[in-house]
Amino acid sequence: MKNTRVARRYAMALMTAAREQNNIEGTAKDMEFVGKTLDESREFRLLVASPVVSSPRKREVFKEVFGPRVGRETMTFINLLTSKSREAILHDVAQQFKELHDEKLGIVNVEVRTTVEFNEAQEKELRTQLERMEGKKVRFQFVIDKTIKGGIVIRIGDTVYDGSVSRQLERMRERFIAGRAA
Amino acid sequence: MAEVRPDEVSAILRKQLAGFEKETDVYDVGTVLQVGDGVARVYGLTKALMSELVEFPHGVFGMVLNLEEDNVGCILFGESSKIKEGDTVKRTGRVASMPVGENMLGRVINPLGQPLDGRGPIQTDKFLPIERKALGVIERQPVKEPLQTGIKAIDGMIPIGRGQRELIIGDRQTGKTAVALDAIINQKFTHTEQSKKIGIKPVYCIYVAIGQKSSTVAQVVDKLQLEGAMEYTTVIAATASDPAPMQFIAPYSGATLGEFFRDSGRHALVVYDDLSKQAQSYRQVSLLLRRPPGREAYPGDVFYLHSRLLERASKLSEALGGGSLTALPVIETQAGDVSAYIPTNVISITDGQIYLEPGLFNSGVRPAINVGISVSRVGGNAQIKAMKKVAGRLRLELAQYRELEAFARFGSDLDKATLQQLRRGSRLVELLKQGQYQPMTVEKQVVSLFAGTNGYFDEIPIEHVQRYEREMLEMLELKHPTLLVSIAEKKELTEDILTKLNGVLKEFTNVFKVSVKA
Repeated sequence: MKNTRVARRYAMALMTAAREQNNIEGTAKDMEFVGKTLDESREFRLLVASPVVSSPRKREVFKEVFGPRVGRETMTFINLLTSKSREAILHDVAQQFKELHDEKLGIVNVEVRTTVEFNEAQEKELRTQLERMEGKKVRFQFVIDKTIKGGIVIRIGDTVYDGSVSRQLERMRERFIAGRAA
Repeated sequence: MAEVRPDEVSAILRKQLAGFEKETDVYDVGTVLQVGDGVARVYGLTKALMSELVEFPHGVFGMVLNLEEDNVGCILFGESSKIKEGDTVKRTGRVASMPVGENMLGRVINPLGQPLDGRGPIQTDKFLPIERKALGVIERQPVKEPLQTGIKAIDGMIPIGRGQRELIIGDRQTGKTAVALDAIINQKFTHTEQSKKIGIKPVYCIYVAIGQKSSTVAQVVDKLQLEGAMEYTTVIAATASDPAPMQFIAPYSGATLGEFFRDSGRHALVVYDDLSKQAQSYRQVSLLLRRPPGREAYPGDVFYLHSRLLERASKLSEALGGGSLTALPVIETQAGDVSAYIPTNVISITDGQIYLEPGLFNSGVRPAINVGISVSRVGGNAQIKAMKKVAGRLRLELAQYRELEAFARFGSDLDKATLQQLRRGSRLVELLKQGQYQPMTVEKQVVSLFAGTNGYFDEIPIEHVQRYEREMLEMLELKHPTLLVSIAEKKELTEDILTKLNGVLKEFTNVFKVSVKA
C-alpha cells in the first residue's frame, strides 16, 4: 500500500503509452492477466519481490511467464520496471492501472456484503438502484459475511451504506444506554 | 432502592423500542496503514476534514492532523496498542470538541472533558470545539480591570489585568507553580459578598496540568480543596503518562472552557502549567507525522502553536458582555536560558513576564521574582489608583538599591544619602517576601507598600520587618477597620485617608520601636 504513489505514476505512463498505441483494451487485458498471475502464485510473488534474485534472472522469468501471453508493449513495460529495480511494485501497478481504466470507463467498484447469496433478480434491482444513485456503471464484488447477521452492507469507495442487522442491534444498545443516562 | 419488577423493566424497554426505526447508516471509512506512538496513518477517509474527530475500534478516538495525497495522519487520544494495521476507521463528521458548563467547576477532567476524579459523569448541555479561532479587533477592548494575585511584588510592580497574558518563567524549583496557585487561591475573595458590594466580579479558574507527575497534580488538587478554591476551579490534567496527543491538546481545552465563561460575560483565569512540555509533546507528534524539524527539532509552526493559544485570551467589548479570559502560561527554562527557542517565542507573544530566579530563591527571597527584568506591558492600566501611587516609587527605589548594592559590598565609607537608600532598599526587599498560600488583599498591600516607601521601616532592624508588617496589619484590622474598607471602596488614597494613615503608622512605629529594644 505504501507504494501506491509510485505505482500510480507508472500506471499513468503505461496508460498514456497504450493510448498512443491505440491499444488500451489490449493493455488492460494484459495487466489484468499480470495481476491475476501474481495473485494466484505466492512463490511467484516472493520471487518478484526478492532482492536476492538478480534483475537479469527476473527478466528471464518474466519473459517465460508473460512473454507468450501479453502484448509487446506490456512486455517492454515489465522490462522497464525490472531495469529500474521497481519490479516489486508490479502488482500495485496492475491494480492502479485497473483503477485508472475503470475511472475512464465510468465504472465504480461496489463491495456488497450479505449473509446469503443474491439471486439474479435481486442483483439486477440493486444494480439499477445504485447506477441511478451514482450515475456510473457498477461492478459488483459480492462477499458472504455471516458476522453482519443479516441485511446488507454496501461499500462504494470510502462510503459505507450500513443496513446490517448487527449495526441495528448496536444502535439499539447505544439507545438503551443513552436512555438509562437521561 | 425500590425493587424493580421484571414486567416494569420490559415495559420501559418496550417504550424505548417503540420509537426505534430501522435506518441505514451512512458513514465514511478508511483503513489503518500504520500505527504506533500515538499516531496512525490511515488510507482512505478521503473526505476527512482537518482536526476532525475519527473513531477507531475499541472506542479509541483520534484527530486528523495531516491530510496527504493518499493518506491521512491522525493522532490518537487512547491506547495505540489496541489498534492494529488494517482496522477500520470511521469519520464522525464533527471537529474535536469538549463539553463545557458550570458543572465542570470543582472537577478534575482530562482534555476531552471526561471526569478523572471518580465522582461520576458531569451533566453539561453544551459542546464547544477545542480549537477555536481567537476573537478579532472589533470584539475586544483594552484591559482595564485588575486581576489580583495577592502577591505584593506582582500586584505592586508587575500588575496583571483581566484579559492579559502574563508569562511565568524560570528554572525548575523556583516557585512558578506556587505563584500560579496563589493567584488561583486569591480569587476566592472575588466570590464573596463583600467583593460584590464594591463591584469586583468573580473570577473562575482553570488549571491545566501538562506532562506533570500524577502525584503533583493530586497535591495541587488537594491544596486547592484545602484552601476552598476548588469551588470555582476546574483542573484539566494530561499527566506524563497520558499519550502525547492528549498533552498537546490540553491547553486548547483549557482555553475552550475559559471561553465559555468569557462569552457568558464572566471572568476566567487559565493557567497553562507548563507550555514547554506541551511544545515537546507537539514536537513528538509532529516528528512522528514526518513533518520537517526546524530549530531544536521543533516543527516550523511551534510559534503558531503558542500564539494561536494565547491569542484566545481577551477582554470582550461591553457589547459582548465585557467578559474576560486571562492566561498565565508557565515556561520552564534550562539553567536560566531565556534565549532558548520556546522561551523567546512565548516571551514575544505574551504581554509581559514574571521572571523567577533560583539565586534569589536560594537566598530566601520568595517569591523569587527578579523585579529588574519582569515586566507587565498592559497591566498598569488595570491597577487601582491607590496601588499605582505607592508602587510607582517602589519600583524606582528598588532599581536604585540594586545599582548601589554592588558598591556596598566593599564596605567603604559611603555618604549619608547612599546609606539611606541602601537601608530603604534592603527593607523593601524584605517587605516583598511573602509566604506561599498567603495571598493579601489589595488594601492591605497598599498600606504595607505605603509604609515601606514612606520610610516607616527605615528605623526597624531588618529581622523585625516582617513582624512589623504583620502586627501593623493586625492593628489596623482591629483598631481602624474603616480605614482599610475605605481604601478598598474608594480605590484611591484621598487626602483624608493619607492623613489618617500617616497618623496611625507614626503612632504604631513608636510603639513598635519600644518592643524591638525590649
